[in-house]
Amino acid sequence: MKMAMNQLIGKTSGFILGLIAFTYVSVTSFSWAANGEELFTTHCATCHKVLESSTGPKMQGVRAKWEEGGALEGSLHEWVRDWSVAAAKDPYAASVATWSPTAMSKFGFLKDEEIEAIFDYADNYTAPVAAVAAGGGDAASGPMEEESNSWVWILIGIVFVGIILAVGGVRRQLKYATVENETGTAPAEESYGDEIRSWAFKNRKFVGIIVLVVVMSGLVYGYLALNTVGVYHNYQPSQPIEFPHDIHAGVNGIDCKYCHNSVERSRTAGIPTVNVCMNCHKGVKGKDDAQKEKIAKIYAAAGFDPEGPGSYTGETDPIVWNKVHVLPDHVYFNHKQHVLVGGLDCKQCHGDMTKEKTARVVPVEELSAIEGNIKLTRPTLTMGWCIECHGEKEISNGPVNTVGSGYYDEIHRRLMDNDKELYQKYLKDDKVTVKELGGWECAKCHY
Amino acid sequence: MTENNPKDLAAVNAKPEYFESRGEIAPQELSVDEFLADERLREASTDRRDFLKFLGFSVAAATLAACEAPVTKAIPYVTKPEDVTPGVANWYASTYYDGNSYASILVKTREGRPIHIKGNREFGITYGGLTPEMAASVLTLYDGERLKNPLKNGEETTWSEVDGDIKKSLGAIKSKNGKITIVSNTIISPSTLRVISDFSAEYGNVEHIQYDAVSYDGIRQANKDSFGMDVIPSYDFAKADTIVSVGADFLNGWLLANAYSVEYAKNRKPEAGKMSKHFQFEANMSMAGANADYRGMVKPSQYAAVLAAIAEGVGAGKISGIDTSAVKDMAEVKEAVKALKSSKSKSLVVCGSNNKALQIITNKINHALGAYTTTINLNNPVAMFKSEEAKMMKFVKDVLVGKGPDAVIFYGTNPVYTTPNGAKLSEAISKIGLSVSTASWNDETAANCQYVCPDHHALETWNDYAPVKNHYGIAQPTIKPLHNTASAQESFLVWAGKANRKGRESKVYFDYIRTIWEQEGFTRQTEFADFHTFWNKSVHDSAMTVPAEAPSSPEFAASLNGLAGKLPKGGDVEVVLYQKASMGIGLQAGNPWLQEMPDSLSKVTWDNYITMNYKEAKDAGYNVKLDQEHGATLASVTVGNETFELPVIATPGQASGTIGIALGYGRGENGEEIGKAAFRTKEYGGYEMEEGKRASIGKNAFRLIDISAGYMSYDVVGSVKKIGGNYPIAATQFQLTAMGRSSIVRETTLDIFNKKNETAYNPPHMLTTHHGKEHVSKFDLWTSHPVEHVGHRWALSIDLNSCLGCGTCLIACQSENNVPVVGKDEVRRGREMAWLRIDRYYKSEDELAVGTKKEEFSYGALEDNIEENPSVVFMPMMCQHCNHAPCETVCPVAATNHSNEGLNQMAYNRCIGTRYCANNCPYKVRRFNWFNYPAYKKFTEINPAQDDLGRMVLNPDVTVRTRGVMEKCSLCVQKIQEGKLVAKAEGRPVKDGDVTVACADACATNAITIGDWNDTHSEVRVASEGKRAYQALEEIGVKPNIWYQVKVRNHDNAGLDAAQVEKDYAHHGSEGHGNEGHH
Repeated sequence: MKMAMNQLIGKTSGFILGLIAFTYVSVTSFSWAANGEELFTTHCATCHKVLESSTGPKMQGVRAKWEEGGALEGSLHEWVRDWSVAAAKDPYAASVATWSPTAMSKFGFLKDEEIEAIFDYADNYTAPVAAVAAGGGDAASGPMEEESNSWVWILIGIVFVGIILAVGGVRRQLKYATVENETGTAPAEESYGDEIRSWAFKNRKFVGIIVLVVVMSGLVYGYLALNTVGVYHNYQPSQPIEFPHDIHAGVNGIDCKYCHNSVERSRTAGIPTVNVCMNCHKGVKGKDDAQKEKIAKIYAAAGFDPEGPGSYTGETDPIVWNKVHVLPDHVYFNHKQHVLVGGLDCKQCHGDMTKEKTARVVPVEELSAIEGNIKLTRPTLTMGWCIECHGEKEISNGPVNTVGSGYYDEIHRRLMDNDKELYQKYLKDDKVTVKELGGWECAKCHY
Repeated sequence: MTENNPKDLAAVNAKPEYFESRGEIAPQELSVDEFLADERLREASTDRRDFLKFLGFSVAAATLAACEAPVTKAIPYVTKPEDVTPGVANWYASTYYDGNSYASILVKTREGRPIHIKGNREFGITYGGLTPEMAASVLTLYDGERLKNPLKNGEETTWSEVDGDIKKSLGAIKSKNGKITIVSNTIISPSTLRVISDFSAEYGNVEHIQYDAVSYDGIRQANKDSFGMDVIPSYDFAKADTIVSVGADFLNGWLLANAYSVEYAKNRKPEAGKMSKHFQFEANMSMAGANADYRGMVKPSQYAAVLAAIAEGVGAGKISGIDTSAVKDMAEVKEAVKALKSSKSKSLVVCGSNNKALQIITNKINHALGAYTTTINLNNPVAMFKSEEAKMMKFVKDVLVGKGPDAVIFYGTNPVYTTPNGAKLSEAISKIGLSVSTASWNDETAANCQYVCPDHHALETWNDYAPVKNHYGIAQPTIKPLHNTASAQESFLVWAGKANRKGRESKVYFDYIRTIWEQEGFTRQTEFADFHTFWNKSVHDSAMTVPAEAPSSPEFAASLNGLAGKLPKGGDVEVVLYQKASMGIGLQAGNPWLQEMPDSLSKVTWDNYITMNYKEAKDAGYNVKLDQEHGATLASVTVGNETFELPVIATPGQASGTIGIALGYGRGENGEEIGKAAFRTKEYGGYEMEEGKRASIGKNAFRLIDISAGYMSYDVVGSVKKIGGNYPIAATQFQLTAMGRSSIVRETTLDIFNKKNETAYNPPHMLTTHHGKEHVSKFDLWTSHPVEHVGHRWALSIDLNSCLGCGTCLIACQSENNVPVVGKDEVRRGREMAWLRIDRYYKSEDELAVGTKKEEFSYGALEDNIEENPSVVFMPMMCQHCNHAPCETVCPVAATNHSNEGLNQMAYNRCIGTRYCANNCPYKVRRFNWFNYPAYKKFTEINPAQDDLGRMVLNPDVTVRTRGVMEKCSLCVQKIQEGKLVAKAEGRPVKDGDVTVACADACATNAITIGDWNDTHSEVRVASEGKRAYQALEEIGVKPNIWYQVKVRNHDNAGLDAAQVEKDYAHHGSEGHGNEGHH
């Protein structure tokens, strides 16, 4: 019995040590080439793959190839920023330009070290073989990272509990051995529970404080956890078509309102209908298999036969999207009010979609980091977030929106004419905010 | 820590005496050990306490998991229809016609679903006038019991099968030259008439009988005799300075009542200095009677005497053989004669009887007054109500004796329900070789037919109409047919071999109409050069009115001699069959909105009843003081061979010796599927059953129609016998009077209004202070809300003179705001959810006018001693949006609070349901959600939100409130926000008309005006500063944002004249009352 216990402890310890080592490795693998990877996925991955050619050539070994090919110094960086400039100067670059009829997008904003980081990443990249590597690869996309982190912490927790148990076990065995040595008889085995109880009783002040701290922190964390219920932090559901906003709004520079065209007319911005997609995709059929596969889904929905005479079959099948920005039923939100009248830019609430793939609920930190946005602190799509903005946003006396200000001028005039004192109170912070004109009132959004 | 304590187990294993005594039931060997035979189960530490822990944990976990919203799907169109923008409502002009009423309407659709109907004020002949039935018809569209497929012998089948069968049978009948009869309601559609003539041309021997449930044939026959014109003329109530109505409820149900109401109200604005003078002679208190300046209570058998007395008085001649002695000294008759003589041709006399002789006398009076050149236009006749009573009666008689036609097609009519001998007819239909119905439900008639070929709902189909000579209307579909139905016209064309079925997207009848309009309409106009533009314009307006031919007065040719013998006979108890505003002739009895709509006068919901003279009922021992627990006494009515039991409601204003029974009830007597709400439900859900069938609400009063004199008479003679009992009555208002409280209702006469200033009839509320009298608005418990200065202040002005009490606003409110239906039992308990109610106040004997006490009065008399023939005031009552709202201060969670636009807003998600607010509301307009109406079994039968179809009518802009929260009128805040957004988007201030609320929108008489009070030029601001403006319960200082306008009656009231004297409020100065410009 005793031996078995000791063996078990030994085995557990080994396993735990192994786990610690594993965790350490996997944690460190997160930081490895993170910068280059992030830049690559954000800017390059639409057209380039690391290990094989797609729309653009494969990225691994490009630096070496250019060096071997006799490209001029710094020519590669110039190519990345604006391929046409490089091609004009460097004959090697000019030869690369013939690789594909599709021209490469321009990335003038990338710094030298960033470009180097991208190529570092590409050159050091190995195909994901183990689950650990895959986890590391995916970690760049927000929600996954969080999840794997929490698993790491749970593992560490288990390890620590294991260590405590193991150490405790060893200590007990030692104690028994000592007692046996001293008295010659084996002591009556105390159960763990009895032992802990007697220990806790002896140290009751210490235990009391610990319990208080644990209970208090439990309450605090519980409260904070409850506050996250229903908060769509970085919510990015999978979509039937992985729609790349970065290509459409970013690379191709399509205005948001072209597809979300009821944003200035309706409470909803409108998920584009398939016929809107078909305006372009009747002609744009995709460069590689991945794109073709996605676009084929549009054709299937529209009942369009690209191979045939290019006609519609009439058999349509609507695309079932997963809603991203979900407001509760008792909340009324109107895009027309905010975009047309309030003159807000889409990115104030939706982030910079020129850099996003499928839509997600962009966390407030990211939103506030965007230039020109009103800086907010409460989680995106919560009521706190809405009214925080209503407390900040100014409704000036003068043109406030794209359609003129006749409405708000009258509101300001009434304030000035009828209640100067109140108006001055409102103007203490030099602006009349949405809140001061009733933007914090229940029935503005709940009815 | 295992708790499998052996001691405990032993105790459990012991054989309890309890088990022993029960012998076999619990075998004694079965110990807990064996019961938990599985060792592992016994070893498992899941004992009771742990189980509770797990339970607690899983509940908590499930709760938390439920907080995480599920993935929501969003499915955009594949190809978006050009004119549909998700989230934006589309309005389509269309036309409502059900055989009994007509209106040009506007239908609101959201994402292709019709969700609301209002009147079309811009085009047509109905001026936006609507009836509750029309407004509620949008819900009928989603009735789950509508037929979803054609039926053959009661079984669902396909169109090809029924068409094949019917064509085969018709072909066989044609080959032996058999007779085919089409029975329909009055068809006013030119295209449909053409379809039927196409059908007739194909089959030769086709008889078309038009038959209306409520017939106005008497008017046609009288005009034929009087002027040689078989017409119903156009009436113009706006042009009449004196209106005399004898038994005609021209404000509800009678002919084009919805249009007449608007015309009538136009001439009832005292600010013009004059008003029409309205005399009503009737037995039942009708809507017209309730609004009359003078109301004479007479029995239907006395109508002739009243008319004869008036005829004699205005110099139209003495009608021989009519004894006028009983009525000629009635004050109302004398006043009527006086008024008619002074207004001469600007008079209008109408009679509601279907008796030809009475109508001839009416014609004679109008002719003598010269009304045929002004208020009555024989040259612009109404094409509706062409009921061929004689033909129909013969048809029924023939069918009953088995001599009917070889085939019958019922189109838009339900004679088994609406004919007096319908019960016999239902059995006799089977004697006809081929019987087909085009009804949308498997209704009383259809259930007896071999084939039912369901017609579309009116909102699903095209049609055209010509209700009046100078007017054409178009009905356009606002939704694709929900079910596998087909327009009846298409069916006729298919059976005639002129068309083929094209499924739900069929354009057969659309193309047909368009062709007719191209041939007949386009060629007769000059405005449009091409047909396409003409057609688009016609559909856009859905109403085309050409100038009417001027009225002219032809020679009066009828003989007045011998009329006396053809008049209706009286009897002990005269029974008046009338139409309720909500139920009409029962076409939409399955519509829960209409069933739950309180009757304009009795305020009773979900029921049919006998209205009886208040005093007679009291004397005969009927319960006259109804409340939650004290229901009505039952009585049995016998007319001819028909006897049935109904509860008795003592009704002020009912002529002694008469009773009234509403038509339109007793639908589905054999449990036919005509809509779930047409049947009585039990207290906790489920139907009440009678003989294994669902028991219908009320009794079918069509059975009482008297046809013995050769015409359909709706005033019949019978007898009443008291039965007793305590029949529960669900009414929204049991109290009858305003208890003389002028702070609620204010009434004056036109004379006083014209001659005295407002301190006489609309005095401000002054409070006595140490430095004299001060206006109540100067005293404040609270600091002021800054609503007078900032932005908007939404306000209503409600004109008690223009409110006729019809109740269309109630349905409009229900439809706009997703107000749940709660059923009879809940209404009885006072838990109705309506955000808007219309309070009805009768005048008591101790009042000079409604709301004005006599100098000497007793509270008992104010409450109980209703005048036998009282005047009535209707007062729409909704949340008053008090700026110092008592409800707001008592809410512990600030769920109800004030907006700086003057709205008393209600945040449902904050509400914890304490109901303090409702208790503190002086107007009692708050409603508490007692149940989960869209799911609880008690409401399955009556709440439309409990099935997928019914939910489609919900307004997506308004939350469906949940159990446990308060709700109330939000002043249609969603429409306010929408209206503001229109102004904002156009970059201009809000102007009148931008913002509207459902009730104001539905009210074509403009009794309700909404606007921005802070806009000094707005209509509502001007109205609120008018001489008639007052606020309900102003003295309690809650500062409502709703103003009422004093009711003005155009009659002599000496007592009131003496009581309403001008007062001097020097301290008050020139400030109006209720203005809040003092802060």
